[in-house]
Amino acid sequence: MSNRALINAIFVNSARSATVLCGFVLTFLIGVIIWNGMNAMNIQFLLSASRNFGASGGILYQIIGSLLLVIMASILVLPVAIGTALFKSEYITSPTLFRISNTLIYSLNGIPSVTFGIFGLIFFVNVLGTGISWFVGSIILAIMMLPTIVLTTYQSINSIPSAYREAAYALGLTKWQVIWRVLLPQGIHGAITGLLIALARAIGETAPIMFIATAFSGINLPGALNDPVVTLPTHILALAQQATNPDALQNAWGASLVLLTLVFIFSISALFSRMHLKEISQR
Amino acid sequence: MNLPRLYIAGSAAFAAVMVVLVFMVLMMSSWGAISSEGLGLFTHKWHPAGGEFGVLPMIFGSAAVTLIALTIATPLGLLAAIFTSELLNPAWRAPVKSALEILAGIPSIIYGLIGVAFFSIWIGNLFDLQSGRTILTAGILLAIMILPTIITLCDDALHNVPQKYRESATGLGLYKYEVVRDVLLPIAKTDITGAILLALGRALGETMAVMLVIGSIDRVPDPFFNVLEAGQSITSKLGREIAESSFGSVHFSALIFMSLILVAITVSLTSFTQYYFRREKRLVE
Repeated sequence: MSNRALINAIFVNSARSATVLCGFVLTFLIGVIIWNGMNAMNIQFLLSASRNFGASGGILYQIIGSLLLVIMASILVLPVAIGTALFKSEYITSPTLFRISNTLIYSLNGIPSVTFGIFGLIFFVNVLGTGISWFVGSIILAIMMLPTIVLTTYQSINSIPSAYREAAYALGLTKWQVIWRVLLPQGIHGAITGLLIALARAIGETAPIMFIATAFSGINLPGALNDPVVTLPTHILALAQQATNPDALQNAWGASLVLLTLVFIFSISALFSRMHLKEISQR
Repeated sequence: MNLPRLYIAGSAAFAAVMVVLVFMVLMMSSWGAISSEGLGLFTHKWHPAGGEFGVLPMIFGSAAVTLIALTIATPLGLLAAIFTSELLNPAWRAPVKSALEILAGIPSIIYGLIGVAFFSIWIGNLFDLQSGRTILTAGILLAIMILPTIITLCDDALHNVPQKYRESATGLGLYKYEVVRDVLLPIAKTDITGAILLALGRALGETMAVMLVIGSIDRVPDPFFNVLEAGQSITSKLGREIAESSFGSVHFSALIFMSLILVAITVSLTSFTQYYFRREKRLVE
């Protein structure tokens, strides 16, 4: 075998083994979560409240709490995100303003999640005096979700050929009618795709909500806007810190599997929604 | 001004105000520590009760953990990306990419749990340590966390090189290795750099997984390259201590100062990356 062929063979095989190694590690991760999670899983676990600081009992209120946080965050973020995307694609004419808006969105995307928690702690909990509140947690998650949704919505609106806009204006439609009848029906799919991607990320976030929105135990459902809530990620955190207790660890795996299932539901829906989006834009 | 227009301009203004507000609040809250401690912030000793707020151990921890993660994940991820983009049967590429995207979405707290339950114990046994919660453990865990991102972005970078380059290079009689080394990698270089910088930003800002396995001791290991000792990163420090420090104290303010350093680095990395490397059509990923 010539020298070149030998190097090529080494290269191809090392690329193959790197892939096998990555595949092995990633399969191990998923496998461990599913295997250990299934051991903790039963109807009782899903449908009862946690007891004994989470070491026994179930995770019903953690599931409800997590969903409550992200659903409220979605309600808060969607109108603002769609408005911002419309502003970016239909109203901005100056390139400078466009650059500024991009910089702001990318900066927001680059801020580490723990920093959002700190911002919430200073601004809402201390300066505005809200105390530990699930609603503040939703606001912070909404801010974190904003850039993703703005960018996907903007892309899908911006990719509508200008012939559509021109045809609509030629029919005598006002700007708002063009937006409402022509641009939004397409843009809404982009917004939903972005929302699903953002939801998959937001529901697993721990750092932004652990100082400002959650309590580890002792509560079930928040009664008012400024009550704390229990969530899956912070529950897993609390249990992971008492990992020497096998019962706590067992429940942590169960909670992880449930959390992962929720994340997968959102991200798989996002994949489908994106495929649908592609089909529309190819029409 | 009519109502729809007010709504659209209003929401854009609201979004912009939010971003600016985050930065303003961080800067104002860290001012207390900057004005009272000054250069004393850049020393080796963190001892709030004694009024010492040296942030160097945390900066070192963040840098060390990120460096370890990138050293492991970059070569492995790039090789795997070359495989999925150039060697794998194209029919398999779509499912592999979807699987990777989904894996990239595993919440970091679950990585933390796996780190606590497996990796820290393995590292402890392997090197015969009292506790397996070390800088190395955190680095390895982070490497695994950023691996899917690196693979999928590098794969995109390679795959976006037009087919004709491969065909001409193969037509000249080059082996696969030579096609990749001499043709594809030079073309895709900018995008690959972008992918690695983006992963770097993610690794620096990662909190939960690092916090659970790094050991949380505020010192630079002795000697400094001994990564088998417990350490502390900026994010793990924030996660552990922010709730214990009282609002308005120098202690709190010094913690916010660290967070400000972190934000300055990650924000400049992310905006630099997304601005200069990634084209409009792929911004969403």
